[in-house]
Amino acid sequence: MRRRQARTAFAFLAPALLFFALLFFYPLARELYTSLFTGAAADRYTGLGNYTKAFGDPVARHAFWVTVQYGLGVVVGAIVLGLVLAVILNQRMRGRAVFRGILLVPYLTSIAIVGLLWRNILDPDTGVLNRVLHALGAPEQNWLAEHPLATIVCIAVWQQVGYTTVLFLAGLQGIPELYYEAAAVDGASVWHRFRHVTLPLLAPTTLFVSVIGVISAMQEFALPYLVTQGGPNNASDLYVYQVWKTAFNFRDFGYASALSYLLLIVILVLSLIQLKVGQRGEK
Amino acid sequence: MSERQRTNDLPPGRFDGTGAAPGERSTGWTRRGLLGAGAALGVGALSACGGNAPSGNGSGDKTFTLYWNAGHVYKEYEQLIAQFEKDHGITVNWQKFQWPDLLTKLTADMQSGQVADLVEEDGSGWPLSFAATGDAHPLDDYIAADGEQIGFPDDWFANSLRNGRYRGKTYSIPLHLTCNLLFYNKTMFAKAGIDKPPSTWDEFLAVAKKLTRGDQYGVSLNSDPGYLSPWMLQNGVKYWIPSSKQIMTPERAAIEAMQFQHDLIYKHKVSPAPSATSDYEGPEKLFVAKRAAMILSGPWDFAPIKQTAPDLDYGLALPLKRKVRTTYLAGSGVFIPAKAKHKELAWDLIKRLTALKVENAVTKETGVTMPRKSWAKQSWVQSDEQIGAVARALAYGQSWTNGIGATGKATELADVMRSAYQSTVVKNGSAAAAVRSIRANSAKLVGG
Repeated sequence: MRRRQARTAFAFLAPALLFFALLFFYPLARELYTSLFTGAAADRYTGLGNYTKAFGDPVARHAFWVTVQYGLGVVVGAIVLGLVLAVILNQRMRGRAVFRGILLVPYLTSIAIVGLLWRNILDPDTGVLNRVLHALGAPEQNWLAEHPLATIVCIAVWQQVGYTTVLFLAGLQGIPELYYEAAAVDGASVWHRFRHVTLPLLAPTTLFVSVIGVISAMQEFALPYLVTQGGPNNASDLYVYQVWKTAFNFRDFGYASALSYLLLIVILVLSLIQLKVGQRGEK
Repeated sequence: MSERQRTNDLPPGRFDGTGAAPGERSTGWTRRGLLGAGAALGVGALSACGGNAPSGNGSGDKTFTLYWNAGHVYKEYEQLIAQFEKDHGITVNWQKFQWPDLLTKLTADMQSGQVADLVEEDGSGWPLSFAATGDAHPLDDYIAADGEQIGFPDDWFANSLRNGRYRGKTYSIPLHLTCNLLFYNKTMFAKAGIDKPPSTWDEFLAVAKKLTRGDQYGVSLNSDPGYLSPWMLQNGVKYWIPSSKQIMTPERAAIEAMQFQHDLIYKHKVSPAPSATSDYEGPEKLFVAKRAAMILSGPWDFAPIKQTAPDLDYGLALPLKRKVRTTYLAGSGVFIPAKAKHKELAWDLIKRLTALKVENAVTKETGVTMPRKSWAKQSWVQSDEQIGAVARALAYGQSWTNGIGATGKATELADVMRSAYQSTVVKNGSAAAAVRSIRANSAKLVGG
């Protein structure tokens, strides 16, 4: 009877297993295999050559460093701004539902639209922003040339902050009012209530947002591709954009696969560290 | 046969499997049977995925796949392809992409072995890169059979053939041939009392200074490094010398050309710094907005300018001269991937696409210029103010990349060039350092 139930369960699981095997595990295994080869057709065995090459490759190292800066900027920016907005929107105020809806619009907008939109706004010669600044008599900006990485960090934060706000709002609404009342009775100021009640009780949400944010930021491709093409002078050359160029522009699928696997390892390690630190904090 | 077809061919009652209870079998469609059918259908559906796959399954396949630049979908080509379908009883799966996406798609196809039958390329030497890896099909047998009849290669501008030949064989036939030349706003010139366009770098700088006032720039430079090449060529710089594997030589002349670009922006302030975006149409937008009096561009901007500023009174001048009057040739070609299923049909389509009659119709429809000498010589081409100007400038054109695609490193070299060029014109960096960086980093790639 038990064996029959197991077979039935397996049969129910089979479509999902098949789906993951074909579209997830097989490509992963295939990519690992490809990472051991070199050449335009990835047909010359090189063992771990692509992995050792990556550690000595200044372009890959630069792209990784740029990505770390990007990730830090986006995660910290989205968490801080998201938390601030969530606290504001958690107050009783008129039009709160409308503000919440508006905040989510950038997150719901396709990244392709977001990229093109900001590219057209920020273009120093033909963009809307400089027209407005010029009309106001303010100095014109050329941020895409002068601060390209900071600019795409800001665009990413602008897009993601609505999502983190909604998550923090959900977290805030899960904190019983009783805790705040008790703290107020004990004479805690607004800041102390935020510092000693809100922040600790939002730790699980913060952990979730930071883990998802880091994973997402380390894999960012669309913004450098759409807005800056990694430029100028590789200043916004994010790691996955570099992997894409290695595969589809430079036609080195073996090396691109190795770079991808190294990123996978980095993301796994970072996620584990964050989870460990988060769990310790919760204890 | 697909998995789905195999499944449908099974006799009734086979879905129950071998371990089913007899009682279950008697009902026909058992629970496990349904699950099995579901799984099999799932596999069938997955195997049917890839609706965008380039070609069919070999003999008997009635689909011909054509990859094309999205900006080159003209009525004349639509009619020609409809006739091609009719004549051969096939369907053309005509897929259109922007150049970067086309290269991405093509690279992925070559890797998977599922390739298109005919591909339009951007004239920079993709076919050479693919020929070097055995992924492009040599056209010499077809040319031996039909070359005289279609006039190839004698009727094509010789310089246009450079990026289609690899180790003595021809891999691509030029389809369009354009070049970079000077666009100038006639009204602004007249207002400034300038009666003719500049002809040399010195004249160019003087005119640009005179035309820069208030919101208006004398010229607008591009962030795309391709627009650096005319200046380099005019100063006698060769990007690639295959025999000695030298890049950007002579170095001193290359630095001078790069410095001239830098100074136009940061010293003389006659051009805005190009924006560091993926959009290379900034200068054209400033030109139509009447905020730039001159730009360097080509026939690809005729239609956008006509569309956005039909009243703009502008002229075209011959390429500038420093040591030599020249410019770079651009355009596109067509090539057949080595694993294409319909090579004979692809060659037939190439012959149709490159016929003089078709070239004339496309030029009249769009203003795009063509690689045939006989096209350029026609009186209606020569007498047209814009098309005639390009046709005359073609005679000064040369290949900038000079077959560098054969190294298999063209895209990496272009990346090196883009980074260094932007460090100078966008980031106000040293021109000498940029040129030395191009030479050093390129030497690492091609062993020069």
